[in-house]
Amino acid sequence: MSAITYADLDALRPFLMLAGGGVLLVLADTILGRRRQISWCVPTLVLLAAAIITIVREPEPGAVLSRLVNFDPFSRFVGLLVCASAALSVLLSESYLRRTGRYRGEYHALLLFSASGMILFSTATEMLTLFLGLELMSIPVYILSGFHRTDVRSGEAALKYFLLGAFSSAILLLGIAFLYGATGTTDLPSALRGGPAAPAMLPLARIGCVLLLAGFLFKIASVPFHMWTPDVYEGAPTTVTAFMATAVKAAAFAALLRVLSMRDSGVLASLPLGKLFWWLAVLTMTVGNLAALTQSNVKRMLAYSSIAHAGYLLVGVSVYTASGDPETLSAILYYLLAYTFMTIGAFAIVVAFGERGNEHLEMGDYGGLGWRYPAAGIAMSLFMISLSGIPPTAGFFGKYAIFRNAVGHGATGLVVIAVLNSALSVYYYLKMMVTLYMRPGTVRVQASRGSLASAVVVICALAVLWAGFGPDGGRIPGVPALLHWASASVLVAR
Amino acid sequence: MTSTGSLLWLIPLAPLVGAIVNGAIALATSHRERAVGRGIVGAIGCLAPSIAFVATVASFVQLRALPVDARSLTQHLFSWIAAGRLHVDAGLLFDPLSCAMLLFVTGIGALIHFYSLGYMAHERGVARYFAYLNLFTFAMVILVLGDGLLPMFVGWEGVGLCSYLLIGFWFTDEEKAIAGNKAFIVNRIGDFGFLLGIFLIFWSIVPSGRTGLTYREIAAAAAHGAFSPGLLTAACLLLFMGATGKSAQLPLYVWLPDAMAGPTPVSALIHAATMVTSGIYMVCRLSFLFVAAPVALTVVAIVGAATAFFAATIGLAQNDIKKILAYSTVSQLGYMFLGCGVGAFSAGMFHVVTHAFFKACLFLGAGSVIHALSGEQDIRRMGGLLKRIPVTGYTFLAAWLAIAGIVPFAGFFSKDEILWQAFSRPNEVLPWLPRVLWAVGFVTAGITALYMTRLIALVFLGKPRLTKEAENHLHESPASMTVPLIVLAAGSLVVGFLGVPDFLVRGGDRFGAWLVPVLASAAGGAAETAAPHGASLEWGLMLASLGIAIAGILAGLLLYVRFPEVPGRIAARAGGLYRAVVNKYWVDEAYRAVVIRPIQVGARAFLWKGIDVRGIDFIVNELGFASRMGSSVVRIAQTGAVQLYAAVLLIGVVVLLWVMR
Amino acid sequence: MNAAGAIATGPGLLSWILFLPFAGSVLMLLIPKDRPALARTVAFVFALGAFAMSIPLLTGFHTSAAMQFVESRPWIPDFGIGYRLGVDGISLFLVLLTTFLMPIVILSSWRAVTDRVRAFHGMLLLLEVGMIGAFIALDLFLFYIFWELMLIPMYVLIGVWGGPRRIYAAVKFILYTIVGSLLMLVAILALYFIHHAQTGVYTFDLLALQSTVLAYRQQMWLFAAFALAFAIKVPLWPFHTWLPDAHVEAPTAGSVILAGVLLKLGTYGFLRFAIPFFPDAALRFQPLLVSLAVIGIIYGALVAMVQDDVKKLVAYSSVSHLGYVMLGLFSFNMEAFSGALYQMLNHGLSTGALFLLVGIIYERRHTRMISDFGGIATRVPLFAAAFILVALSSIGLPGLNGFIGEFLVLTGAFGAHRAAAILACTGVVLGAAYMLWLTQRFLFGKIRHDENRSLTDLSGREGLLLAPILLLIVYMGVQPRVFLDRMQPALEAALARVQLAQAQPERDPASPPLYVAVPGEGEAR
Repeated sequence: MSAITYADLDALRPFLMLAGGGVLLVLADTILGRRRQISWCVPTLVLLAAAIITIVREPEPGAVLSRLVNFDPFSRFVGLLVCASAALSVLLSESYLRRTGRYRGEYHALLLFSASGMILFSTATEMLTLFLGLELMSIPVYILSGFHRTDVRSGEAALKYFLLGAFSSAILLLGIAFLYGATGTTDLPSALRGGPAAPAMLPLARIGCVLLLAGFLFKIASVPFHMWTPDVYEGAPTTVTAFMATAVKAAAFAALLRVLSMRDSGVLASLPLGKLFWWLAVLTMTVGNLAALTQSNVKRMLAYSSIAHAGYLLVGVSVYTASGDPETLSAILYYLLAYTFMTIGAFAIVVAFGERGNEHLEMGDYGGLGWRYPAAGIAMSLFMISLSGIPPTAGFFGKYAIFRNAVGHGATGLVVIAVLNSALSVYYYLKMMVTLYMRPGTVRVQASRGSLASAVVVICALAVLWAGFGPDGGRIPGVPALLHWASASVLVAR
Repeated sequence: MTSTGSLLWLIPLAPLVGAIVNGAIALATSHRERAVGRGIVGAIGCLAPSIAFVATVASFVQLRALPVDARSLTQHLFSWIAAGRLHVDAGLLFDPLSCAMLLFVTGIGALIHFYSLGYMAHERGVARYFAYLNLFTFAMVILVLGDGLLPMFVGWEGVGLCSYLLIGFWFTDEEKAIAGNKAFIVNRIGDFGFLLGIFLIFWSIVPSGRTGLTYREIAAAAAHGAFSPGLLTAACLLLFMGATGKSAQLPLYVWLPDAMAGPTPVSALIHAATMVTSGIYMVCRLSFLFVAAPVALTVVAIVGAATAFFAATIGLAQNDIKKILAYSTVSQLGYMFLGCGVGAFSAGMFHVVTHAFFKACLFLGAGSVIHALSGEQDIRRMGGLLKRIPVTGYTFLAAWLAIAGIVPFAGFFSKDEILWQAFSRPNEVLPWLPRVLWAVGFVTAGITALYMTRLIALVFLGKPRLTKEAENHLHESPASMTVPLIVLAAGSLVVGFLGVPDFLVRGGDRFGAWLVPVLASAAGGAAETAAPHGASLEWGLMLASLGIAIAGILAGLLLYVRFPEVPGRIAARAGGLYRAVVNKYWVDEAYRAVVIRPIQVGARAFLWKGIDVRGIDFIVNELGFASRMGSSVVRIAQTGAVQLYAAVLLIGVVVLLWVMR
Repeated sequence: MNAAGAIATGPGLLSWILFLPFAGSVLMLLIPKDRPALARTVAFVFALGAFAMSIPLLTGFHTSAAMQFVESRPWIPDFGIGYRLGVDGISLFLVLLTTFLMPIVILSSWRAVTDRVRAFHGMLLLLEVGMIGAFIALDLFLFYIFWELMLIPMYVLIGVWGGPRRIYAAVKFILYTIVGSLLMLVAILALYFIHHAQTGVYTFDLLALQSTVLAYRQQMWLFAAFALAFAIKVPLWPFHTWLPDAHVEAPTAGSVILAGVLLKLGTYGFLRFAIPFFPDAALRFQPLLVSLAVIGIIYGALVAMVQDDVKKLVAYSSVSHLGYVMLGLFSFNMEAFSGALYQMLNHGLSTGALFLLVGIIYERRHTRMISDFGGIATRVPLFAAAFILVALSSIGLPGLNGFIGEFLVLTGAFGAHRAAAILACTGVVLGAAYMLWLTQRFLFGKIRHDENRSLTDLSGREGLLLAPILLLIVYMGVQPRVFLDRMQPALEAALARVQLAQAQPERDPASPPLYVAVPGEGEAR
């Protein structure tokens, strides 16, 4: 362990920015007290700044903090996703928090902390840093999900999430302990690649790896570690749910993939990971879709759907573990991008139509909404169509990118299961459209005027469309450009 | 070889134009309560077939001028279908056969159009009527004149359509509409065979390159032995199946009696004189194929004879004047097929022509009677009309003698020719057959005379049994109706002399001679087979058939004029047999029970409700249900109890560790 | 077929034909809610414009197998996805059929659709984009996009403007279709990679992919996937049960488009992709598909015979008619091929017209039960005349369009497999049976219901929208060569591939079998 150099700080700038921003917000909030509230602009600006820096700064992989973290193009992509997700949920939360009378500076601070944690989590190449990132990411989210102190469901959600989260963290920590015990190092690459000095230690190392993976799987809500998802997603404030469903997943997948990138030799190589993820993918998407099929509560439905999408992403993971093809990683990134925008968009609609005292989470409340609010209707349909993977939308293209890789690596069987699953998912996503347009106008909601939520909806809708078929035209980068970017964001394994 | 006929194109065109114009008028005026522009409509309607007739005659003259072996005029109109190896042209072929057919089709057709002027005078849809009638003439012309199987098929289906439309002309009467359907669908069953026949021929010709299925091409292919014997037999039988449909032979004759639901002139034109004979025309057209398929020919002969006898017996016991004539038509058509079947195609055609005259005359006469009795059709409520409506009466008598086969009326020559050929031509498939065929034909001739005499007796002779209102406005029909009757009666008297047997007058069979270049002659034509028996035998048979005709007539007169009570007793004595005959052997009922009902019930109960609803859709919906079940299954665990979640999480880890061990 | 190689510069004719309806559908969003008449007019104008634009396709078409009016520009180069359009003898008339029917359909719903007029027409025009695009796409990816693009508008059309059980019908429709098309997507990808493995080029270019050499097993799998997607669309027995529901529930416009064009995409798919791409498999599957087609012909006709709802009857008759098309496609000779393609157009016209007529009478009586009619011919003679003409066309009366297709199909089929053709021929009888029986129960007899006494005959607008179809029905029956000649070369090209396979089966045993992953095979590589 050498001293921290300026270069390190420079590399860490996005992280520091978010963390620092969080600290500042807390301070400011305490100083200002209840009298004046900090506008949503501040956190947004912080996130924006972080994002810009992340973009402009060319990452130099592996050179940071004597290799505790690894800022590579891959983590940059993820970082930007996290910032985007966080920023969008800030915009969402503005009206939402006022409505629910829960407007507090901490909210944004916690959001920023969590975001910084995600960056750490997704870049860590050292076990303790990894754990640090995990906790820094999770604990604020635990709190955020309980942000409605008065709302029982919210508190319950927070508690559940906290308990199970702590549980899974413990498991992950246990895994770290095993690995360290077996290999005598906390540096992931050397531990995993090098493996234990004594062959007798190999089983321990393997157990360590499995426990480590279990920790990740909990965060990405893969079967069988998914059960918390519906309750927490439903109970947590919708804006937080949006954040959880997208950013946390993205970061967790990033961390998982970073670990898996070391699977070519050593301990991981000795595990039948291909088989494992094959089954996880199948189970996760099937369970997610089946459960969502008969769900009438929008948030729960989206929760299950997020599980299903984790399943599709796991298809990519299993292909990656089997082939190690970097293109697969870029496909996964593209999918995460699409997923982020369509999911946040869907939640944004829910937020936009919620009102004080009644969040209108039942599908029935939206009956005939499409006719009363054409724009919102079209947007929601767009998100649903995209979620069900029908062209010309980002959701389709993301799926396409992953399936393309899978087929390319001969996982046709898996893909067939996946497409049958998405056929199944069409049923419940379009059930939303049925409510929006085909049911008699039982619409019991009205749009909260001029909220930022509608802005979020518009942004997400445009993103979903453009990332679905947009060609490279003049200034605006279309699908090809995004693809280039995704495939340029290579994960540099050490 | 063939020269182009200058006027051929006009023959189909005239009626087509007529049909279009009248059709337009019909549609334009369809909302008027009473028909408008009767005069124009009638004028166009009658002009069209008249022009066609004139053009035909002109072409006939042109044809006559040509040397015998070069007698065929053709005209290429446009190229119709071209796909793969099938290149069909819309072309016209005017040779002695189509000429003979066309002359009476357009001629009698024109007459019947004129007749309709009077008969349909009080009709509202007169424009529609003439549109259909002209359209029919057009289709019939195409059928006859079309050069090739496909043009013929076009006409074939076209006449079927018009028959359908005209039978159902008074469509507000459900019965009539249903009769129309029956006609079309039964004909379609025949066409099923026709189509398959065409396919067989096409695929046998194709190996030698693209084809348009013109008669010349088929003949050439046949000459080069493109058809294996078995295949040829199959093709001929399939084509004949088509003929049985159109020409109402066993077992597909059932539609014709019902077809009498149409206006009487229609029955005369379509269901007696022209359309129903197109089956015979087709067989003669393709005689060069049939002669090479003796088995098929034998079948034709047997079916013909059987039908002739079968229908005649039914005719004995009917009481509807038009129904009797209908069955007699079926029976006469049987004779024609008998003629063709024994290989005497010209005899068959000759009977077609003579029959066209006397049967048209009979039907129009019947129409005139019905018209006179303001709609009465039951012969039991007629009688003694000869004095009351003499023109109709006497023309009817002429036609009666013709169909009964009394010398010198037309029917005598043609029918006798058929019987003689049936007797004299050997059959290598069934050597004993000729005698049987002759016997059947012979007996049938007697029965024919008998039931026709019964008709005459009950309608025109004896004492009137009319209903009051029929009695009141009983009147002879207008000239537009009687003139055609007279012409046709004259025809039934004279046309026979076109085919006087050669042994009576050397070269007397001018009709046969005219057709020689087109009609193939089966192995062992009458000429050489006649030699052993000699003229004496022919004389004998001729006198015999004349004799049985006279016998039939006398029997009829005795039974229905002299001792009117006897028939009742005979009927009572005959019992079951009589009932069978009266009920037309319950054929319709049988078809309904054996074919139609099962199909309908099966389709509804088994296919639709069974397979579709309870089968496929059940599975589909069950899949949906199953996945909903699965949904609740996977959600069972979602109790919200965090302990449970933790437990599952732990189990998950253990399982993971276990599988990854 | 390398004429497609040519790169067109600037948006070409086809792009315009695609763009017009799209622009129209977007415009629908801008039209004020309270101006339905304006919405109708705009939609009609744009649809008409698209038709006008597609006329030059016919006039400028030179009879050859080559793809024409080709446009090709890169879209997503990394994946070899291009914006490639073109028409040949196969797609030419299908495009025309689409653009021809669309204005008629819009005209037909002038009075029928009164609520949510903008959305309705927006969906119609969007649907048109999808259909045309699917016909003219020369890039499999693009084709798939358009193929899927048709789903949502049709789904909405049925689900929003449909009858009482519209939602069930809509969901059934979309689930049936999507299962097939998603599997097709997998097959497309597989083909794409096999092609890459052989040439090192990633491309979805139709004409490039056609030259991919496929091993027997690969063909089997890929064909199966494609065939399933298309068979559901056709629909081939036993995948047909979504059709009656969709037809019965859909609004008139929906039914017309569904029957007129959408179903053709299935048969078109067979003709364009499944058969020429995988000739060996096509030959292998021939017996199965022919049997299904024949079952469809007879089954559809029989079930149609016993329907009480006119729309359902027509729907089942579609199953029967498309059975002919399938029979023709899998007879593998020019006669049958031409017949099949011709029959597609016929069915589009005659069945489309039937649905229009049913819609017209439905607007007046708000019932489709046959038993609610009878004897109306006296009240609505013009309607009756039109109805009878269309019925005759659909039972293949010589002189009308139906005959040409039916006859050619059966002729060809007879040469390919006799038994099937003979069975299929019974359809000729059954077809006449159910159609004439319908006509009789529908139009003839005495008027039994007093509501029918006040029926009004075709209005000027209705006459106007029916007239073009009726004229075409006659014209196509008398002058089929106008169409057949232009079809021949392209069909011959497609057929040549099959005949090659027929001539020398098992040409290429070398290339590897299609790899199907099973659990654990992941790390085997």
